[in-house]
Amino acid sequence: MDLPSQLLAQPDALLLDLTATSREGAISALHAQLAKSPAVKDAPLLLRDLLERAMLAPVCIAVDVALPHARTDAVARVVVGVARVTPPGVGFDGEHPAVRLIFMVGTPKQQVEEYLLAVAAITRLLKTEGVRTGLLAARTAAEFTALLARGAAS
Amino acid sequence: MSPTATATTTELLERLQRLLRWRLWIREKLQLTEWQITLLWAALAGFTGALASMIFSALAEGVHEFMTNSTSGVVESMRHLPWWGCLLVPTLGGAAAGLVLLYGSRLTRSQSSTDYMEAIVIGNGRVPVRASLVKSTAALFSIGSGGSIGREGPMVQLSAVAASLLGRWRQFTGPQLRLLVACGASAGIASAYNAPIAGSFFVAEIILGSIAMESLGPLAVSAVVATLTIRVLTAAQVMYRVPVFQLNSPWEMGPYVILGLLAGGMAPLFLRSLKQSEEFFIALRLPLVARLALGGLLVGVIAINVPQVCGNGYTVVVDILNGRLVWTVLLGIFACKWLATMSSFGSGAPGGVFTPTLFMGASAGYLFGTGVHALWPASGVDPGAFALVGMGAFLSAASRAPVMAVIMLFEMTLSYDIILPLMLCNVIAYYTAKGVAGESLYSASLRRKAAAEPAAAFAATRVSDLMRLDPPTIPPAARFAEIAERFLSVRVNNLYVRDDEGRFLGAVSLHDIKPYLGQLDLAELVIARDILREDFPKIGPDQSLSEALGAFLGLTAERLPVVAPDTGRLLGSLSKSDLLLALVEKRRPTLAGA
Repeated sequence: MDLPSQLLAQPDALLLDLTATSREGAISALHAQLAKSPAVKDAPLLLRDLLERAMLAPVCIAVDVALPHARTDAVARVVVGVARVTPPGVGFDGEHPAVRLIFMVGTPKQQVEEYLLAVAAITRLLKTEGVRTGLLAARTAAEFTALLARGAAS
Repeated sequence: MSPTATATTTELLERLQRLLRWRLWIREKLQLTEWQITLLWAALAGFTGALASMIFSALAEGVHEFMTNSTSGVVESMRHLPWWGCLLVPTLGGAAAGLVLLYGSRLTRSQSSTDYMEAIVIGNGRVPVRASLVKSTAALFSIGSGGSIGREGPMVQLSAVAASLLGRWRQFTGPQLRLLVACGASAGIASAYNAPIAGSFFVAEIILGSIAMESLGPLAVSAVVATLTIRVLTAAQVMYRVPVFQLNSPWEMGPYVILGLLAGGMAPLFLRSLKQSEEFFIALRLPLVARLALGGLLVGVIAINVPQVCGNGYTVVVDILNGRLVWTVLLGIFACKWLATMSSFGSGAPGGVFTPTLFMGASAGYLFGTGVHALWPASGVDPGAFALVGMGAFLSAASRAPVMAVIMLFEMTLSYDIILPLMLCNVIAYYTAKGVAGESLYSASLRRKAAAEPAAAFAATRVSDLMRLDPPTIPPAARFAEIAERFLSVRVNNLYVRDDEGRFLGAVSLHDIKPYLGQLDLAELVIARDILREDFPKIGPDQSLSEALGAFLGLTAERLPVVAPDTGRLLGSLSKSDLLLALVEKRRPTLAGA
């Protein structure tokens, strides 16, 4: 298993019942959790870079899945945070008004290949049969991470 | 959107991705480097150069046939003309050449008289088309009417013009254009003498002053293609068929050493006489047409009794090498040919003196060999062998290109037995000539031109001199699919990312994105800003060429972005091949020391 897949199986931050009313609110909440990771060197900078990137171009990869991401000087290695938003979800843009799953990725600026690996691993994960619906239906954190691990390994 | 429509869109996207992946794979596997592309252009320059040479040669023969009413060679035709015909034909030819130059100058008023050597050595590689065509048309008359001048000069010039046009059409940079013109010249010489190696070395040694592979490779390709074209389209064979010469004893090298010294002393004398003759004709203050007609008339006067002086001397050289001329007759022809060449060249008849130089060397060598044979009959030396070596030695001394002279003589005769005395004699002649007079057949005019037009002398010293404008760029918000498509439309491995203000942000590498071309989800998610490399090396416009070379060290990139250090704006790009060519050019000896 490559490094981004390992990170996905054991994310740096996990929020299962996130309640948010806006894209910025959802990103900020997950970011606050992710900022606790020792790999995050500069939490405000990470948040700024994530929001800036989200404003520049869409970050959704499915109708109810968003992938806010940034290559930033704020992290020492690739960091991954995952959140599940309580129904009815949060609007990210006009085409994605009810996002339920958020995967947040921060990558050091020099690591282009790692960034692409991480983003590709997440998109692959969500294509795995039953993973997306399973993540939305998981009742506990253990069940949620087990699904992530299974999907990342497949 | 209905499920059916979504499925169709996805299918289309998948097909597009597959297509992109295949096209990128094919392009990557078959992608040519800049050097390989240069070789392809060199090959094309070789082909067009050979065609230009053939057309000129055919036209010169047509003019000759028209003026003498004979399909024989120049010497044969003149031999069969009555005395008044011998006077009339070269005189009319000279006058016609003068008229072409006179009226042609109206068409070329805005163009310089830059020839191919000047365009390569001190110019920007742009050989003026109209001026070259006018001069070549005039040369058709001076050559076709039997002037004592070579046809190779105009053939090489036209070949270089064709190459220059190709390069200008493709908007080549200065160093690339000069290299392509050099390829054209190489093709012209290879076509004229059926000698591809000599063609390459002539340009490398005399014009570029370097046999670095960066330039020699394209020159060789061009010369080979030109020679192949000539061989396929005509019945071109070995230029001079010679008997087998053998070195019977090492002692025979002694006379060859003396021949080297003689040729080395005579060649500068020959060149000086041509120069003085030019000054004499100018001092007459005759109108151009009258001056060229007078030059033709003088050749005609000599040709009444010695028709061998007409033309470039090729057929006479063949006779000399095969021992078909008695030395007393040859002595007369030698003196008369010298005078005739002075008349043609001095009057300003357009053409070359390369083949007449070979004639002088062959005659001098044969006469010297005859003397050796008379003084040392037991040696069994063949005067024909001395003629062959004399040709090379004279050429080496006149052109100051001993390597080219050895190769050319070998290629033109395919006589390997003569190689030892030829090499020794050429080197001795070269050093002797260098000691006697400082300038070669070509360096004098180049030096004069460089002095007259110092601004024309081009030498890239800074990155901005070599910079190519408008490199392929993408905006930071360009989507993954757009980036992939851009890579397909331009032949680069790195796309520069530039913001709205024109600032350079970094580069997106084809190598980075290649593994993910199959992932449809990334097509909409990833943008250029996500994958650009901010630390991509860049260079400033005012940096020196050696600093630029340092920036390329350890990089696989073929180009570097040129970025203004104060504003961060992307100004252009610097190609590694341009840089290496410019560095090769910088190593070229200065004209003062040529």
